[in-house]
Parts: sequence; structure tokens; C-alpha cells
Amino acid sequence: MENNKKLVIGMLMLFGIIIISLNLISAQEVSYCCEKLKTGAWCQNAPQSSCDTSFTNTPASCEATGFCKMGYCYDSQEGICSENTPKKVCDLEGGVWELDTGTAPPQCSLGCCVLEDQAAFVTLTRCKKLSSTYGLETDFRADITNEVQCIASATSEVKGACVYEEEFETKCKFISQKECQDLKGSAGILASNSSSSVNFHQGYLCSDESLGTNCGPSTKTTCVEGRDEVYFLDSCGNLANIYDASKEKDKIYWSKVLSKPESCGYSSPDGNANSATCGSCDYFLGSTCKQYNRGDDRVKPNIGDNICRDLSCEFEGKQYKHGETWCADAKGIDLALPGSRHFRMLCYNGEVQTEPCSDFRQEVCLQSEVNDFKVAACRPNKWQDCFSQTNKLSCENIDKRDCLWIEGIEIAMAQEGEADSQGSGTQTTQPFSNPNSPVTGNVIQEGTDDSDLRVTDPNAIEGGGSCLPKNQPGFNFWEEGDHSSLCALANTQCIVKYEKKALDKDWKCVENCECLEPSWELEHNNICVAIGDCGNSKNFIGVQGFNTGYKITTEKVK
Amino acid sequence: MIMKKRGDKGQVTIFIIIAVLVVVAAILLFIFRPSGINIIPSKPGTPEGFIKDCLQDTIDENINFISLQGGSLTPKHYFEYQGNKLEYLCYTNEFNKMCVVQQPILYGHVSTEIEKSISSKERECFDSLKAEYEDKGYTVDLKRGETIVDLLPGKVLITFKHSLNLRKGDSTSNIEEFRISLNNNLYELLGIATSIIAYETRFGDSETTQYMNVYPDLKVEKYKQTDGTTVYILTNRDNENVPGSKFQFASRSNAWPPGYGIGS
Repeated sequence: MENNKKLVIGMLMLFGIIIISLNLISAQEVSYCCEKLKTGAWCQNAPQSSCDTSFTNTPASCEATGFCKMGYCYDSQEGICSENTPKKVCDLEGGVWELDTGTAPPQCSLGCCVLEDQAAFVTLTRCKKLSSTYGLETDFRADITNEVQCIASATSEVKGACVYEEEFETKCKFISQKECQDLKGSAGILASNSSSSVNFHQGYLCSDESLGTNCGPSTKTTCVEGRDEVYFLDSCGNLANIYDASKEKDKIYWSKVLSKPESCGYSSPDGNANSATCGSCDYFLGSTCKQYNRGDDRVKPNIGDNICRDLSCEFEGKQYKHGETWCADAKGIDLALPGSRHFRMLCYNGEVQTEPCSDFRQEVCLQSEVNDFKVAACRPNKWQDCFSQTNKLSCENIDKRDCLWIEGIEIAMAQEGEADSQGSGTQTTQPFSNPNSPVTGNVIQEGTDDSDLRVTDPNAIEGGGSCLPKNQPGFNFWEEGDHSSLCALANTQCIVKYEKKALDKDWKCVENCECLEPSWELEHNNICVAIGDCGNSKNFIGVQGFNTGYKITTEKVK
Repeated sequence: MIMKKRGDKGQVTIFIIIAVLVVVAAILLFIFRPSGINIIPSKPGTPEGFIKDCLQDTIDENINFISLQGGSLTPKHYFEYQGNKLEYLCYTNEFNKMCVVQQPILYGHVSTEIEKSISSKERECFDSLKAEYEDKGYTVDLKRGETIVDLLPGKVLITFKHSLNLRKGDSTSNIEEFRISLNNNLYELLGIATSIIAYETRFGDSETTQYMNVYPDLKVEKYKQTDGTTVYILTNRDNENVPGSKFQFASRSNAWPPGYGIGS
């Protein structure tokens, strides 16, 4: 009898292996490189039947072909380089293609392009193009090798009061020295040879009394493109210092240019959001200059029409800072119900945005808090090799996977190749191998790159437990796929032993009697659910599935 | 009492006048409200004004249409999202693989698409212009040249290199080219899209906050779809309704299959 049972198990294992091999073979069929797919996509590895027959296709990976070799495509007009571009696509669009040899071609090297008080981390050609567009001389700094350093290197040109005579009046413009020089000789202003008539006073405001111009302080304020702060305007409409209601009539404040640290509310933690008196806004701290609007702003500025608008958000009764990101409390995600997924929320410019993480819970949202500032991100859910872990240590290695070791339960992996067929219902001790994924049960089980894996025998489970996904993945159980095989991991067989002694009237349960209890069924359904979208559960909107999701069969074994 | 009645009538008259003035002011404000669209001002009744009036709506509509479809007038390989066909700018049909760039010369491609989209209307408008001046007794010599669409920071500039010579009696008028400019942020949005594609092809994903931290006016929306496609919507917050101030496209990179992906 025991021999017969082993034979059946052996046959089922063999059947399982055949099925998986067939899967692998069919997966290997997708090794044609189609120059163009029927859908219109260029250079894709797909079955030959998907290839557009008016274009080339070859039974090899696209990387190995000449027509779909990947490389850099250079847009000589805009000076932009695209990586991972097939030669064919680049040629068609009129770009210059170069093979990817591991290092970017010289024309794709990035540097810092300084455009007055702005900077962009671009190629030399693009820098030339941008400079000519803005009518500036090219200032390309190849020695700056990262974007942050590049942006930080941009400094605004020093401005000052450009005083000139026009129509017998001393007028003034708050501009740069170069612009002031250009003003000489322009229409209406005295000829350029009388240089004394146009004078530049660096760091001075036009409203400075000592300059004797027709400009003075005013109660007008303005927002400036590319800057965060609210600025005073003088009576001639020139830019003055940052708006500070207490300095409205302060002659010194209206005399010289003051830096932001010298202005009001510099150390304000919220960038003076909703301040009626100070215009030292800061986008990074959550405020920016906007025209006052009763609906958007809580307070009215004491002077002028502009205010540091508060960019924070309110969401579900909670307040979030501008730039904060957090994980949403999405429907059903706490129980990983079918259809549920993780979402990341963002607060920018007073608006809450929603970013779904990958569907089927293949990404999880993780949140942390640094100095009371929330940061969240969607990152891959590394559940794929949980089932092949055979001890707690390797199972809960958070650097490699997102799994949990559950003591006291055993999934089919841990059993001796037992099988059942609720669906395709085949399983072996190593039932899965994903040709597309670097994470395969086989590789890890072999222990080639997994130093922490001490138990190489898949059946050697320490202390009776199972390694299950910490964040259960979702499966497309309504389509063809590997969900049946995955769910079958929860299959179990419980042999209940009955005994009838000589004087007994009825059979009496003596071994594994707990398997007859409703709690056993519930417990095993929980194991199903812990694997992924298996077993009996409601979906994320509370709708019960069409069937029970599992099957219990009883048969008499002698 | 009589005096009081007269006073009441006077007040009513003043109120009526004020009301009329308010209504007139409101109408004027509505008519001359800033629309965010700035076509190079051309005098009404001039050939430039005629072309501007004739083409303006078509240009607006097509730039908007192309921007909402990933830069293509008739996308061939697209993801359908909220009724729009979003061209894949980067794509892989496989799982766990980085995408292959499908549109490396994005600026050039969008320029060409805009040019193509207005070509028939442009022909129609110049034909009408010719007929209009011929009806007025002018001898019209219209030499058609190329149309150049330049995507520039803050604007799209369309130059029709068509020369027009109008003669009537002794007077002659010559126009070497016609220009129409539309203020929008399409150039900037294409730059962001190019950067996102670079991240998608290298890392299989992109971080939207890095753009919104640097560009206060920019909104970057990212929606991952069930099949592994990611929809990106780039909007200029200040001019959301101006044509070309919203650019949306699709990408599919490093997609994760449900389960292990065997048989998917």
C-alpha cells in the first residue's frame, strides 16, 4: 500500500515536471527579434506570429541582431542623447546612432550649461542651442559632473540702480550692469559719448534718496518669475527688496539691496506661509509668491496684493506639508484582498496627487519620516522566492526578500511532493522557474548566490514552519497563468486515524482529529490567503468571490 | 416731499447708469480677458492678420491634440487612457525588462507632427488669401515655400516661408514670410518627457517628485496600469487650459507580471 502511494506521488511529480517544462518551452518560443511588431512597437522579442511581416525578424534576441542593436541616438539639432535606442528607430527619425559600448559617446557627455541665473545639466550642443535661443554666450562647464552641483552653480547677475537722464528728468532702472551699459545710446537717452549721463550703482535700489531719481518707495508688491519671494516695487515699477510690512517707510530698507538672509522671517520653518507682513517665501519650505485670493489664502497682506501662499495640503482630515509623500490607507490593502494595491500620495502646491504602485501588489508602498517630514515610495515586492526558503534566517533576510517565517504551518513545498489538483494542480518540491525573472526558486535553492542559505535540501525544514510573502501578491486568477500552481502550495493532506476496539460500537478518532474541526478549515484557508490571491475571501470592495476558492475532499484510506 | 421724490428719481437714474457701466465693463473685460494665447499681433485686414485669423483655431486644436497623444497626430502604438490614444515613447512587451526607446528625436517628431496637422488648412488659408486679394483687384503672386515649426522655450513659432507679392496700380506690397507664435510650455514639457524616458529606459521607473521639486509650476502625474504601462501627464499648473500646456504619454518598462509570470 505504501509502495502504491509512493508510485502515485512519483507519477504526479513527473507530470508536474513535464507541465513546467512545457511552460518553459513555450516561454522559450518568444525568442524572435521582430524589427517591428504588428502592434507598431519597434525591436521587441516576441513570437514570430506577432512580428510585422513587412519588416525583418530573426530567431534571436534583439541584442544579437544588427538591425535592432541598442545604442545611443543623438539628436544633432537639439543636442539630446537617447539611450537604449535601436539603430533602426534612430535612423528612421534622422538621428545619429552609436553602439552602446558601456560608456557614453563624447557628444552625449553632460556638463553644466549656465544661462544667466539659471543652469541646465546638458550636452555641449544643447547648451549652444539653449544659449542661442536665449541670446546668450555659451557658458558650458564640463568640469561639473552632476545636476545638483550644476544647479547650485547658477548665480544671478548682480543688479543695481541704472540712473540716466531723459527728458530733463533723472530716471532709474533696476537692472544688471550689462543692461545698463546697453542703455547708453538708446533712443531718448543722451548719446553714448556723454557717459556720465548713465551711471550704474551696484547694489543700490532706484528708490535710494541719495541717487536723486524720480523713483521712491511705494505700497505695491509683485511676484517675479523664477523666484519664490514677494517683492516691493518702487514708484517707477522697479523691483525693490523683499516685502516687509514693517519697512514700508524705512529709508534704509529702500536704499540698498538686501539678501534673503537679511530680510524678514528668514528662519521661518514654513517659509512665512500666510504671513500678512513678510514676503520671504520659500518653495522648499512650502510657500511661494501668489496674488492674494480670498478663497485660497487665509489672511490678506497688510500691503499690496501678493502673499506667500501656503502650499501644504489637507487630506482626510490630516495636514501634509508641501513635498511630503505618504502611503495611502487604500481599500483592502491591510488584508491584501484581491484587487487591492498600494498607493503613494503626494502633496505639491496645495494639491494632493495619487500615484498607484504596480498592480497585483507587485510593488509595496513604504513610508518613513525624517524630522517630521513624511517620505514614501513604491518599491518592488520581493516575494517571489519566499516559498523556496527553508529556514527563518534566510526567509527573513530583508535585504533579499520580503517574507515572513510562520512557525507551525507547512505548505506543500515542505512536504514530500504531495499533490492535488484543484486547478492545474501540479507541484513538485521546485515547481517554479520564471524565465523572465532573475529570481527563480532553482537558482536560490542551489545556493549559488545565497550565502545565508544553509539548508540546501528543500525538504529539510527547521522546526516545522513555512516562509510566506510578507505582502501577499495578487494573481490574475481569471486568466491562464501560474496562479493555480502557486495556490496549490497550500494544498495539504491530513490522514485522520480512526480506531475501533473490540468492544467499541463506533469508530473513534485517535489521530489528527483536529482536521475534522471547522477551525482546521479556517486555518488552512488562511494559509491559502497568505500565499496570495488564493482561497476564500472577499475582494477589496467587499464582494465575495464566485466560488469557495478551495475544496475539501474526503476519502477512505485503508 | 416733492423734492424728496425728485431725489429718489435722481438716485435711481444714477444707479441705472452705474449698472449699465458695470455691465459694459464686465462685457469688455470678458471680451479682452487675457487668454494666455498670444498670437503675434497683426493688423486686421492685412495678409498676416488674415492668415492668423484663418489658422489660429486649427493650430490651437492640433497642438492640443498632439500634446495629449504623446506627440503624435495619429498614434500607431498607443495605450488608450481616458479616451486619448497615448503613444508609447518607450516600450517593452516583456516583463522585467527595461524599455526600448520608440521616439528618440521627440522635439523633431512633435514639430513634424504639428506641421503635418496644419498643412491642409494652411493650403486652404493661403488659397483663400489669394482669392480675397484678387477679388479686391490685386494682382497676387504667391510663392509657396516650406513651413517650419520651431519649439522654443515658452512658445511654438510657426513660420510659413511663403512669399506674397500684391500689386495694384503703382503700389506694390511684399511679404517674405508669415509667422504665428503660440505661447505655451510644450518645449519645457518635452524636455521633462525626454528626461523621464531616460529614467524609464535605465531604471524602469522615474521619480516624479524630483521634477516638481525643481519646477514649481510643473505637475507630473504618474499612473501605473494593470498591464505594466505607466501613463505620464505633465501639466503647467499656471496655464492648464492653454493648448500645449499639457503633455501626456505612455511607457512600459520593467513591468511586473502577476504571479511569476509563467503563462502570462
